[in-house]
Amino acid sequence: MASFRRARRSVASGAFTGFCWVVTGVALAALALILWSLLVKGIGGIDQNTFTMDTPAAGSVGGLRNAIVGSVIMCAMAMVIAVVVGVLAGTWLAEYGRNSVYANLVRFLNDILLSAPSVLIGLFVYEFMVAPFHGFSAIAGAFALALIAVPIITRTTEDVLKLQPTALREAGMALGTPHWSAIRQILWKSAGSGILTGGLLAFARISGETAPLLFTSLNEQFLNFNLTKEMASLPVVIFNDALSAYDDLVRLAWAGALIIAVAVLGTNVLARIITRERHPS
Amino acid sequence: MSVTDLAITDRPRPKGAAFDPVFKWVCAAAATTLLAALTGIVVLLAIGGWPALSKFGLSFFTSTDWNPVTDVFGGEGPIVGTLVTSFMALLFSLPIAFGVAVFLVEFCPRILRRPIGVAVELLAGVPSIVYGMWGLFVFAPFFATYVEVPAMSAAQPGSLLEMLTQGVPNGANILTASIVLAIMILPYMAAVLRELFLTVPVQLRESGYGMGSTTLEVVTSITLPYVRRSAVGAVMLGLGRALGETMAVTFIIGNSHTLPKSFFDSGSTIASTIANEFNEATTPMYTSALIALGFVLFLISFVVLAIARALLGSEKAV
Amino acid sequence: MNAVNTDDAEVYEQYTAQIAPDTIKLQTRNLDFFYGKNQALHSVTLPVINKGVTALIGPSGCGKSTLLRAMNRIYGLYPGQRAAGEIMLDGQNILDKKVDVATLRSRVGMVFQKPTPFPMSIHDNVAFGVRLYEGLNRAEMEQRVEESLRKAALWDEVKDKLRHSGLSLSGGQQQRLCVARGIAVRPEVLLLDEPASALDPVSTAKLEETIVELKKDYTIVIVTHNLQQATRVSDNTGFMFLGRLIEFAPTAELFSAPKAKRTADYIGGRFG
Repeated sequence: MASFRRARRSVASGAFTGFCWVVTGVALAALALILWSLLVKGIGGIDQNTFTMDTPAAGSVGGLRNAIVGSVIMCAMAMVIAVVVGVLAGTWLAEYGRNSVYANLVRFLNDILLSAPSVLIGLFVYEFMVAPFHGFSAIAGAFALALIAVPIITRTTEDVLKLQPTALREAGMALGTPHWSAIRQILWKSAGSGILTGGLLAFARISGETAPLLFTSLNEQFLNFNLTKEMASLPVVIFNDALSAYDDLVRLAWAGALIIAVAVLGTNVLARIITRERHPS
Repeated sequence: MSVTDLAITDRPRPKGAAFDPVFKWVCAAAATTLLAALTGIVVLLAIGGWPALSKFGLSFFTSTDWNPVTDVFGGEGPIVGTLVTSFMALLFSLPIAFGVAVFLVEFCPRILRRPIGVAVELLAGVPSIVYGMWGLFVFAPFFATYVEVPAMSAAQPGSLLEMLTQGVPNGANILTASIVLAIMILPYMAAVLRELFLTVPVQLRESGYGMGSTTLEVVTSITLPYVRRSAVGAVMLGLGRALGETMAVTFIIGNSHTLPKSFFDSGSTIASTIANEFNEATTPMYTSALIALGFVLFLISFVVLAIARALLGSEKAV
Repeated sequence: MNAVNTDDAEVYEQYTAQIAPDTIKLQTRNLDFFYGKNQALHSVTLPVINKGVTALIGPSGCGKSTLLRAMNRIYGLYPGQRAAGEIMLDGQNILDKKVDVATLRSRVGMVFQKPTPFPMSIHDNVAFGVRLYEGLNRAEMEQRVEESLRKAALWDEVKDKLRHSGLSLSGGQQQRLCVARGIAVRPEVLLLDEPASALDPVSTAKLEETIVELKKDYTIVIVTHNLQQATRVSDNTGFMFLGRLIEFAPTAELFSAPKAKRTADYIGGRFG
């Protein structure tokens, strides 16, 4: 009887072990497959025109130059806004608001915003900036991206500031340092690599976002530096090209997807290296 | 030198002390923008969607008649499509994510633990449009050829299988959309679950093994009970992601506003409908109907995310 | 040891009464301290003699660190912590709401248990506080930094690497850097909260030498777990127990002939 029970237990456990091995294998294989087809089709789509020409008219040659430049411009603008607002907001939560009711409310809303559907951010910015001013613009696109990046930076800033030793904070105050000088010159410096990591993660996140740009910066065939006009971006161009009926455009879409994936993964790896250098495990 | 010589007794206030309150207010203002943004989203979506919601009333939720030509909009199709695809995606990815997380914590050879863990976390960051393109160009044709066509030809007329598989065999349907969605949220859920499992104190698990428990028993009777609350929260976060996902779904769901009749039937989600149609909405009522859908999506995800956060506690940064 | 008097409350007052008022730099009077609803100090009256070292000893949780942290109001960072009573610094009650805490803290400096170098160069660590209060030119600042590092007995070890990060120093050096940083702003009183508890014996000996050197210029209050350390560096010692000051006397006297039974028990190693 006892040995029967033991046998049943070990069979169940063996089956469970097998299940875990198999699903991990399947999951990794599926994800590897996706990256593989991205790599093959993406590299196949990249040629000498990709980085030097703008969106082609259907049937003619072209590249992604305007889309890449547009993405860089809008992401950079968004990051400037998001770093300023996010770092200050995170600082407020960690240093001033702490456990007050208002701080807890802001923290909760930040968490919601962190996972809110990005397509809704796009709708909101459309209603807030595009519709009232009768025009799609790069500024509106950057604003939408900033709204996605801010909660990430706020969250990481608060977390790393809270990780700073109490003694460091007290040592600053013990010299009579005004709180804001202690924050700027001691705490931000000490938390620097953590905040930088948060910024990189936020950048990785927004550089692949499509939905918030669809109704804000729209798209534009040509290279354009006017921030009050429509502006092309890689994700939107990919979206449009992928759904088109032309093979050339689909090829470009794959090239664009590969470029984005490399940029995003590269940024993530960089963030990881920075974190690891400061906190070797 | 005596102490009275050295000490500076008549001191000015430290430099910059006057800016202390200013800085505090600037920080508070930055924090308040978060509140303002979320409030702004609710209010503007409510205002923008109000014409459609007030005109169609309850039928906005119960009618599948989505007709831009006659300016009549019923959103039941996308609303149901959102819920169905999200839950199906969760159903597919949860057991796999759970298995991967357990594997990484319990079984994985030490050498592979870090690379696989890092790979899973990196994959969680791959933009969804990449998954969407793969779904559209690789998975859908494959699925149509090797699953849909054989299944449909094998189905007897009038049988249950025929009911479940009717549709156009082009790979663009709610089942493929759910699968792509599941693959997309898989690394995310696995990463979160793994992190949760790692919060279980090692001694607790070791004492389980010390009593002669098998891995299965340790997982079900120690690890899972220990993280139960947070694990449900993590699953809800995954659900929240699936609900709001736009690009991975838009490419492959087929975009029809009817209620899907079978797994192989095309459908739509709120996010895909907005992404596809918003820039083409020609009448104010059309635009309003799309924004109203967005409002509904906001409410659904707000509830799901709020529950997730409550279960996870605000400590969990994901 | 011949502890005969067990009426603790009376003990320290005898000595306190003998101290000439004009030699007292800082004095707590009937100081109560609260962490929320928990009272951590009960009516503590402690004189701190000018240009001397006052040691506070007692078992963990006796309130000695709390008392120290009240003296520059560093507790004010935490809502819920409050002090009642008086702390007189040169005749002014520093618990008064009108007192600017930043200015107070520049007069009453503090060094903590663990070394807390700021994430900047050794030079900037020392210059940090000075810049808050004085507009020194470059040469004056160099001079101030050198002077402070010399007083903290660190100059010879770091003079060639002033631009290196303060975090690159060893633990003992970091702690002396913190002392240098504290005295660079030329405070009147220096509070040391178990400054040697995280250091090895060699670093501890160096730090103690520094303290003895510093008392020529500064009034020092040191909290320590280490009774030998108290006898080595201090002129007066207060023994605290359960939030009360049990005995206060010249160090030699307190250790050789404690008047209160609890003091005798503690320094005799019977508890704590």
